[in-house]
Amino acid sequence: MMLLRKMLRDMRRGKMQFVSIFLMSFLGVFIYTGIGGEWYGLQKAADNFYQETHFADAWLYGQGFSEKDAEAVRKINGVTRVEPRLSLKTIGEQFDNKPVITLLVTENPMISKPKRIRGDSFSSAEDGVWISDRFAEAKGLQPGDSLTLSYEGKAFTKMIRGTVMSPEYVSSSASGDLTPNFNNFGYAYLPAASLPISGELPATELLLDTERTDSVRLEAEIADALGGTYSVFLPRSRFESYTQFQNEVQQHRAMGSVFPLAFLAIALLTILTTMTRMVNLQRIQIGTLKAIGFSRRRILQHYVSYGFWLSLVGALLGTLLGPLTLPRLFYPSMSAYYTLPRWGAAQSPLFYGMAVMTVLAATLTTYLACRELLQGTTAEALRPKAPRAVRRGWLEKVLLRRNAGFNTRWNVRDMSRSRIRSLMAVVGVLSCTALLVCAFGMRDSVNDVKTWQYEEINRFATRLTVEEKATSEQIAAAQEAVNGEAIMESPVELRVKGVKSSGLASITDQVTLIGGTDASRHEMKFPADGISISYKLANKLNVQSGDEVEWHLYGQEEWTSSTISAIYRTPVAQGITMSRTYYEQQGYDFRPTSLLTAEQAGGTFPGIASLWAKSDLIAGWDKMTDSMYIMVYLLIFFAVLLALVVLYHLGLLFFTEKERELATLKVIGFSSNRIRGLLLTQNIWLSLLGILLGIPTGIGLLAMMIKTAGDSFDMMIVIQARSYLFSVFLTLIVSVTVNRMFSGKIRNVDMVGSLKGVD
Amino acid sequence: MKPIIEFVHVVKEYGVGEGVFRALDDVSFVIQEGEFVVILGPSGAGKSTVLNLLGGMDRASSGEIRIKDQNIAGYSEQQLTEYRAKNVGFVFQFYNLIPTLTAWENVALTKEISGESLDADEVLASVGLAPHRNQFPSQLSGGEQQRVAIARAICKNPAMLLCDEPTGALDSETGTAILTLLQKLSREEGKTVIIVTHNSSLAKAADKVISIRNGKVHSVEIHEEPLAVSEVRE
Repeated sequence: MMLLRKMLRDMRRGKMQFVSIFLMSFLGVFIYTGIGGEWYGLQKAADNFYQETHFADAWLYGQGFSEKDAEAVRKINGVTRVEPRLSLKTIGEQFDNKPVITLLVTENPMISKPKRIRGDSFSSAEDGVWISDRFAEAKGLQPGDSLTLSYEGKAFTKMIRGTVMSPEYVSSSASGDLTPNFNNFGYAYLPAASLPISGELPATELLLDTERTDSVRLEAEIADALGGTYSVFLPRSRFESYTQFQNEVQQHRAMGSVFPLAFLAIALLTILTTMTRMVNLQRIQIGTLKAIGFSRRRILQHYVSYGFWLSLVGALLGTLLGPLTLPRLFYPSMSAYYTLPRWGAAQSPLFYGMAVMTVLAATLTTYLACRELLQGTTAEALRPKAPRAVRRGWLEKVLLRRNAGFNTRWNVRDMSRSRIRSLMAVVGVLSCTALLVCAFGMRDSVNDVKTWQYEEINRFATRLTVEEKATSEQIAAAQEAVNGEAIMESPVELRVKGVKSSGLASITDQVTLIGGTDASRHEMKFPADGISISYKLANKLNVQSGDEVEWHLYGQEEWTSSTISAIYRTPVAQGITMSRTYYEQQGYDFRPTSLLTAEQAGGTFPGIASLWAKSDLIAGWDKMTDSMYIMVYLLIFFAVLLALVVLYHLGLLFFTEKERELATLKVIGFSSNRIRGLLLTQNIWLSLLGILLGIPTGIGLLAMMIKTAGDSFDMMIVIQARSYLFSVFLTLIVSVTVNRMFSGKIRNVDMVGSLKGVD
Repeated sequence: MKPIIEFVHVVKEYGVGEGVFRALDDVSFVIQEGEFVVILGPSGAGKSTVLNLLGGMDRASSGEIRIKDQNIAGYSEQQLTEYRAKNVGFVFQFYNLIPTLTAWENVALTKEISGESLDADEVLASVGLAPHRNQFPSQLSGGEQQRVAIARAICKNPAMLLCDEPTGALDSETGTAILTLLQKLSREEGKTVIIVTHNSSLAKAADKVISIRNGKVHSVEIHEEPLAVSEVRE
């Protein structure tokens, strides 16, 4: 009981030191569980959604699947369920912007079930449509309203029975949009019975439920069963809506795992230094406690409990507050991009593990700092500790010239004498600089992608999306009217030595408004012959110029083999590109999907579904990068906080250790400013070392984060000189600010008191 | 001989809780240049306060402290720093050497703050420590450390040496040697040396003994022919 009182009073006396132990263990756990709660919440929400709706394991796309085909696939070993579905691209006729609405006609979906949000649940017995909730929301549609769709010029109207979310559309956008604009696309479920045709459903898709994970073998067996009459087989791992969301989660996860480690490492160093100092200061007290008759165990318990309680309170508070606060910062911008029925942070057992680990590590560190107590006799403990010997270390040999000044000598020896303290300062500054470089670099790199995508590559002012049903006369007229260039874009499947991958194929008809950039971002011309493949895809497939690649657009059943004639680099859409001439030489029809023009085109054209000004596309991009900016600001905030806490803590530590020495210098006649300069020197040396090491660490961190951005996204590490300057400058400002915080303390050093005796 | 230090009606009060504690109550005395002075008194008598005021580490509540005709009682913090740097050499009970500097460096440290400082090697030799110049304080014995401290104090060529219980942490033999050194500095080099102690055995070796009791000057003794330190300490 008395010892508990002693602990509480000790803590009150050494407030700041103990606050920093608490703060560091709090921050470490807070960030870990905060960002962790965010990504884990996303993962959990998605997993629940996928499970609840029985998300398909694989998809088959083709020109038409009969019930016989479905049956053949069903017979394959390991395939538990197959559902045919008809997918039609219809136009929402009642809306000015004529959005494309994917009509999904199905009997009784058990795979990728639409989840009811408002109105009735999907029922194949009723007539009507169930439309996507986000689209309904964007258009202000309610259950009970009617929806008019047109397909190949024929319009039909259905009542909206309810709104739904499909697990296949977690991440999805209209074909012209880089970022989802829910005004521009939607999907609607229609019971097969409502279709004005009789007989078998002319399915264009087969949804598969399977336990098999060997997708290559599975596809071979399916190809066999169907006699090759299908276009594309997609396992979940290549289903874009799925992979994109998983990549996003992975990215958040990567960030959430690295940063807390820095905080935890520093928390432990803080504890080590604080407790070592505390035990040294309380040496006589400890001797007294021993002399009174406390057992070593009790005393050790007493001191270890300091670290235990503080880190316990910090870790608990972090575990509680992290998931409550940080996810809220991310979810608004994330939900603008992804569609999930529920958004919420989740608690993972991992978080409690991290909290327990923090407390254990803190307690163990405290134990290590106090272990010395176990050794030695009571009488020894009652005597002041012998001063630590000073020897000429390697540091001195390296750094000290014979004529070095007092300032240099004093600092070099002081640092080599207090290695842990110096190391901690370097680690603290290093982490700060690294986080800043990483944060600013991330901002620069993402901005660079914007320049790259919208200035270097896309040079058009307006992009016109061609309707699927548009006639070639309509397209030609529109092209003539806006002085446009035609481009055909389609998802493509590629195959190299049995390894498959998908991407986007662009077939260009003498296009000048799309620029090419090579692997090192220099301007390049696309060759007229053969295909060009994007850098990231080439790396993924491990192919080079001159290699053969097989490809087919979605909807084509035959593979075409082509030679890679160039490699180009592009940030967002990985795939292949080729000229119209080459495409037609392979025996295919060129059908433009978009027209590009340098003019600010406006108005409506027959056969054109939508018009996109480049500024709209850029605005969409900016919206998408919002969540990234939040991460950047968080990083900057925590980096500065980290450095402040660490350096302030070290300052205190330094000050209490060196008070006597500083008093001596003052008595001898050094002015307060001079002494502050002395401390500033060391501060700046260690800061500079930390900064020097922090810059490459920051770049490495950034590279690691960019690597987690996923297969479809290619980003270059770009860090502007300004960003380096900011990072270094901000770090130095923190360092000097902390130094200034101590100038008052130096002025008030008690010359009389600290010189009297050895305490 | 002319007075180097004059305390004129010096009062020093400390606030203690709500009350006031008067540590020095109207203290006046004079110390001449080159004198070997002992300020004597039991613990708590106020002798350390005298030393603190003399050393420019603290300010008097009232009265004048004239050092070479300058009243330092009215000095600013900056003036006091300069005063300490130029005029006062301190020797403490626990040496207070900078642990990270060698013996020579501790002495040469004074060059950093006083332009008139002496050659560190010569000063070290004069206290008999030339062979130990490159050792760190932790490698020296207590007596050797105190010699370094004395060397550091005299190296900047101050007007006075202020010594606070300089032998308090040393064994008797070493203590005698240190005091002999201090007395020699006064006699042969004309330094003003002021030793603050509670040990009256040194009194007979001093030119002047100022006894402080309960914050007041109890008596001032002047010895025309003081004994050698070795004669009074056995």
